[in-house]
Amino acid sequence: MINIDTYAYSNRLKTVHPTEKFLFAMITLVVCLTSPALITPLSVLALMAAGIIIKAGIPGRFFVKLMLVPLSFLLLSVLTIAFSVSTSPAGFWLAQNIAGLTVGIRLPDLVTAVHLLIKSLGAVSCLYFLALTTPMTEIISVLSRMRTPVIITELMALIYRFIFVFMEMATTIRRAQSSRLGYVSTKSSFRSMSGLFSALFGKVFLKSRELFDTMEARGYTGEIKVLAKKYPVNLKNYLVLTALEIPLILLNLLGR
Amino acid sequence: MSEVILEAVDIKFSYPDGTNALRKVNLEVKKGEKLAILGSNGAGKSTLFLHFNGIYRPDAGSIKYRGQDISYGKRALIELRKKVGIVFQDPDSQLFSASVWQDISFGPLNLGLGEEVVVDRVKQAMSDTETTDLQDKPTHLLSYGQKKRVSIAGVLAMEPEVIIFDEPTAWLDPRHGREFMELLEKLSQEGKTIIISTHDVDLAYSWSDRIAVMYSGELIASGEPGEVFLQPDIISRADLLLPWLLEMHRELVQKGWLPPSGPLPKTREDLFGSIAAKRERRLSVL
Repeated sequence: MINIDTYAYSNRLKTVHPTEKFLFAMITLVVCLTSPALITPLSVLALMAAGIIIKAGIPGRFFVKLMLVPLSFLLLSVLTIAFSVSTSPAGFWLAQNIAGLTVGIRLPDLVTAVHLLIKSLGAVSCLYFLALTTPMTEIISVLSRMRTPVIITELMALIYRFIFVFMEMATTIRRAQSSRLGYVSTKSSFRSMSGLFSALFGKVFLKSRELFDTMEARGYTGEIKVLAKKYPVNLKNYLVLTALEIPLILLNLLGR
Repeated sequence: MSEVILEAVDIKFSYPDGTNALRKVNLEVKKGEKLAILGSNGAGKSTLFLHFNGIYRPDAGSIKYRGQDISYGKRALIELRKKVGIVFQDPDSQLFSASVWQDISFGPLNLGLGEEVVVDRVKQAMSDTETTDLQDKPTHLLSYGQKKRVSIAGVLAMEPEVIIFDEPTAWLDPRHGREFMELLEKLSQEGKTIIISTHDVDLAYSWSDRIAVMYSGELIASGEPGEVFLQPDIISRADLLLPWLLEMHRELVQKGWLPPSGPLPKTREDLFGSIAAKRERRLSVL
C-alpha cells in the first residue's frame, strides 16, 4: 500500500501529464472490460506490464507481487463460477459423483471463468498503472477538472492526507505500547489494541478541530481551493495513446 | 513611538470545558517590531494567538487591528487573515494537503488572487523557506523540519503584515533553528511585524525588541528584554529561567570582571567583546 504511494512520487513517468496517464489507464480499462475474447485482456496485461516495468521503471518483482494480491480473491470467486453441482451427470467435462450428486466443471463455465480471471487481472493492471505512476493528489486534480463533485474530491484529498498522519500516530502509540510489553500475550495484545483504537479515536477528533482552526486561519470559507501543478501537455503521448488504443478496440470489434 | 498595529484590550476567554484560558489580557503590538511572548505550557499563548486573527472570539474585551475593533463578518475576517497570519506549532495539523505545492497555494487562493499571482507567490514563498526542492514530494514523506518550513511557506505566500509563530523552534535541530532565525531576521527587515511564542529565554532575549510574559492566562510583564529579565520575581513566577547571557554578565559583574554600569550584552559577541584579555588588563593597571 505505502510502497505504491512511494513509487507514485518517484517513478520515471512522474513528469508526464496526469491527464494523459489517467486517460490511458481508464480507456484501456474500459476496452479490457468490454472485450469478448481473451486476446484483448492478455494484450492489456502485457501492455500495462511493459508500461509499469519498462517505462515507469518499477521493479518487475514488485509488480508481480502486486498482481498476486487480487489473485487470491479472484481465484476464490472464479472457482465458484467454474464448478457446478447437479443431479444429472450430463454435460460435465470433468466430474465426480458424490452420493448421487455430480460435482464438476462444465466446459463453457470453465471458459467463462478463465475469461473472467484474465479480464479482471487486465483491469487491475490498468489501475496499478495509474496508482504506480500518478500521485494521488494529481489523480484528484484530474478528477476535479473532470467536474467530479467537489465534496468527493475534497474528501479524497483530506482522507488521503490523514491516512498518513493517523498511521504515524498509530505506529507511535503501538511502539510505545510494545516497549512497555503491551503485546506479550494474546490477552494483553487485545487490551493494548483496544487502547490504541480509543486513543486514536480521540486524537482524530482533536486533529480535525485543529485542522479546521488552521485552515480558517488561512482564509478557508467552505471550499478547499488549491492550485494544481502544471504539467507540459505532450502531443506525442496522445498519439501513442491513440496508436495503442485503436488496435485494442479493433480487436474487441473483430472478436464479436 | 511607532504605531500600534494589533492590540488586545481586556481579552477574556474560557474554553467550553470551563478552563479560564485568558483573564483580562492587554497587549499592544507595534508595527514592525519583534515581539516574543514567553510563558510555560498552558499559559494562554496559543489561545491569545487564535484571537489575533479571529479564530476565537473573546468572551469579553476586543481585538483591535490598526486601532479598529475587528468585526467577525465573513468578509472582514478574510481581510484580517490576509493581514495577520499564524504558523501553528504542529505542522501536521496545518498541512492539509498531501502536496507541498497545493498546500502552499491554499492561502493565497483563498484571498481571491488570480492564478498567475498565486503561482508567483508560491514560488517566492518556497524560495524564501528553501522548500523549492520539496515541491514534488508528498507532505507525508517530509521530515519534521521540512514540514515546518512548508507550513511557514503556506503562511508567507499570503504576504501578511503580521506573522505569528507558535513555538517555531520547538523540535527543530540547531541548524534549522538557526536558519529559521535568519528567515525571521529577513522578514523583519522587510518590515513585517513578527510575534513568536517560545520557552527559549536565550532566543527571546537576543532576538526580540520586546518581551511579554504570560502566566496562567494573564500577561504579567512586558517591556524591553533587559528590563523584563531584570525582574527576578516575574521570571520565577512565570517559571522561566534567566538567559545565559544575563546570568554570565551578572556573575562577571559580581566578581569584578566587568563594570556594574555597563550596558547589558545583547549577543554572545557583545559579552565576549566586553571581557578584556588578561594581558591587556595587567597593562592597563600599570
